[in-house]
Order: sequence, then C-alpha cells, then structure tokens
Amino acid sequence: MPAVLGFEGSANKIGVGVVWDGTVLANPRRTYVTPPGTGFLPGDTARHHRAVILDLLEEALTEAGLTSQDIDCIAYTKGPGMGAPLASVAVVARTVAQLWNKPLLGVNHCIGHIEMGRLITGATSPTVLYVSGGNTQVIAYSEHRYRIFGETIDIAVGNCLDRFARVLKISNDPSPGYNIEQMAKRGKKLVELPYTVKGMDVSFSGILSFIEDAAQRMLATGECTPEDLCFSLQETVFAMLVEITERAMAHCGSQEALIVGGVGCNMRLQEMMETMCQERGAQLFATDERFCIDNGAMIAQAGWEMFQAGHRTLLSDSGITQRYRTDEVEVTWRD
Amino acid sequence: RPHSDQVSPGGPDSQGGPGGPRAQGGSGIPDGQGGPGGPGSPGDEGAPANSVADGALTMLLPPTLTVPFRSPLEAEMARRAMAPEAQRHQQAVQKECAVNGSVLAVRWTAEDPGLLQISINSFLDLLVRVVRNIRRMRPTVPLSLGRGKGG
Repeated sequence: MPAVLGFEGSANKIGVGVVWDGTVLANPRRTYVTPPGTGFLPGDTARHHRAVILDLLEEALTEAGLTSQDIDCIAYTKGPGMGAPLASVAVVARTVAQLWNKPLLGVNHCIGHIEMGRLITGATSPTVLYVSGGNTQVIAYSEHRYRIFGETIDIAVGNCLDRFARVLKISNDPSPGYNIEQMAKRGKKLVELPYTVKGMDVSFSGILSFIEDAAQRMLATGECTPEDLCFSLQETVFAMLVEITERAMAHCGSQEALIVGGVGCNMRLQEMMETMCQERGAQLFATDERFCIDNGAMIAQAGWEMFQAGHRTLLSDSGITQRYRTDEVEVTWRD
Repeated sequence: RPHSDQVSPGGPDSQGGPGGPRAQGGSGIPDGQGGPGGPGSPGDEGAPANSVADGALTMLLPPTLTVPFRSPLEAEMARRAMAPEAQRHQQAVQKECAVNGSVLAVRWTAEDPGLLQISINSFLDLLVRVVRNIRRMRPTVPLSLGRGKGG
C-alpha cells in the first residue's frame, strides 16, 4: 500500500500530512495568526508558509517514522485558495517531488476535506456541508462527481464570521470563529438579522453589512452586548445552512449528513444539524479540529485515493489555480 | 556516473513523453538578449560546496535574470519547479524560463512596470524557496531527473 505525503497551504494554515492505507501517520500544522481587527493578506501568509514548510516536512516524516524513500507520492493543494500561499507551497511540492523522484498529484482542496471526512467518520454516501472561511457548499456524490447542490452566492460563512470578528476586534487566536463561538455561549438576546436563503443557495454579504452597522449602533446605545451579536449571527447563519442542507438531503433521499471545513468544528452548528438529522431519521457525521480545519493529511488522503486510481499530475500541468470548482474533478476512485 | 538525461522511473513526470531536461530548456534565451553572463557562468564547476546558486544574480535590460546553479541538473530542477507558476497572468506579464548549462535564465516582457515589478518580486520569493529547499535536502539530490514532458 502506498504512503502519500500531502501539502496544504491555501489559506492561513500550513500543514504537511502523511497517510498510509487509510491511517494518518502524521499531521503537523501551523496557523498564521494576525492581530485583532485584521485579516491575513496573501503576501504575508505566503511568507509565513515559506518560513515553516520545510520544518513541517521534517516533523511529518519524523512523526510518521518514515524517510523520503518510504513515500510513494507527493500530493499538494492545486486550488482553490489564495494565490501566493498556494504557489509557495506548490513550488516546494514540485521541488520535493523532483529531489525524491516521486510522482506528483494536484488535489482539489474541497475534495480533500470530503475524503478526509469520509475516512475519519466512515460515512458511506453523505450529503456534505462544507463550510470554511473560503468556501460554503452543499455537496453530494453522483456519477463520478461531487455535485454542488447549493452554495453561497457571495462570501463564505466563515468569511462572514471572521470579518465580523474584526469589527469587534475579537482575537484571531486560535481562530476568530472559535472565539465568536465562545462569546456566543454567553449571549442572551437574539437580535433579528436578515435571513437570506435563496432556493438551494445562501447569501452572507448582506447579513455582514447589516450586523457591522448594527454593531456600531446597538453597542453604543447598550441595546445589546457583543456576546448577543455573536449569538445572533451564529443562530441566523447556521439556521440558513441547516435549511439548505436539509433541502439537498430531501432532494437526494439521503440519510447521512457530513460536516467538513473549519466552521464544521463549531459545536452549535453540529447541534443544530443533529436536531435536523434526528427529525429526518438521518445520521450526522462530523470530525474534530484535527481534520475539520485545513490540514496536510486531508490532501494526502485525497491524493492517496487519486494515486490508487491512477491519477498523476505532470510538472507542466502542476500550476495552482485560485478558482477550482469541486465538480471539476472526475472522481474515478468511487463507483 | 549516469548522464543527466538518463530516464529515471517514478519521478514527477514518469508518465513518459519525449525528451529530457535539456529538450525543454536547452534552446535558452538567445545571446545578446540577456543570456547567461556575469559571475558564476555556465561550466563553472569549481564553486564553493556550500552554495546552491553560485555567484551573483545578474539582471539585464530588457528584464532578464540569470541565476547560476551548481549544476545543470539543479538549474533544470529549479526551472521545472517554478515554470508552472510562470503561466499565470500571461496576458499581463510574459515570462520565459530557460536553462543554459548551469544557469537559469528568466526574461520578462510587460507593458506595465508595476506588474513587472510584482512579477519579478514574486519570482524571487519563489526562487529563494526553491534554492533553500534544494540546499536543505542536498544529500538526497538525485543524479538524474525523471523524463520530462513539457515540464
């Protein structure tokens, strides 16, 4: 059975993972954290990744107890994501592939999340809610493609949460979404926000504009607390996500739901999804922060599946792409 | 000692196809238009053992960068690692990468000096990463590259 090394660095997390025959042998990761009130810019993020990636590579091999000779394939995130960070990681993957004389595989980041979610949870054919800072999609597998049944028509739900965190100057350590979640637990008042589900899709940019404005007004007058706003934002956006997921499950006749992506770590989202699944007699699957949040092992796992199915990426075709749809990939490793 | 064009199975381009490393970069950028030059010219085999890129980078006009490496193999490795990123933003900035001996030569063509600067800076950032990568893994540098196809 092959061992696959995976590089992930499409946003502010850089990870290197090793997967062998369905077992995660190593999965070290570093996060680029910016000061409160700020976000992460492509150039700075790329610099962060460049500074730590080789240390992470060594760490991964040591943790896995392997050498370069034991690795059968180098997988990396081809896209989607931020251009400079993606390119910084891809160039290292290409160099390593040449130095070690191993085949290269460009992996779709979204499919990395899905394949890791399937591996860890054992879900067979779930409706997937993929929610992160960069992506919000409802996905189901059909005829060799991960089909997008619903998605955001503007910004990702995680982006909405992260940008709201900046307004309140909430710390980005360990992540703004995590800190919003902790504050939301102390919220007592539900502030009515726009609820924008559009058929199978969702929209978050209007909610963000509204709550940014509301925050200034209502906090100044003492009408509500920052915790109330965090609570209200979560309840609103998560309810929207549950609705579009349920709609997709009804369409597909699906009895399984799988949450992947960094926002999937949120326990309130998992709780709301669990309630919906129970009402439908369906089963909910979710992973913990090791695999929900962007990591190298998920790229290695997707790469492992692709490698076994005979996929290879030539160096000439190994450029990154910031826009890479989930349904662009032919999923030849599934029936 | 194997010739640098020897086929080596299992590499990143092991699906096959015509040519080896020199088939892709061998023509180089024509002399007189920013070809290899300056310290660390091709064929300089007596470089210090602890440097991957020997001598100084050379920048000429029109914007052409020449980067001497220790060997043609490492120059070609660097070119293959960075060439795929050269294809991005081709409408605004054209970038040609070629290997002449042990020298990686890169030439830019752009109308907008601002975009040109961004492209050069970005390339240099990646180049530093590639050079450090090779330097750190130097003990495992293969004697030959896998057979290339448009790489």
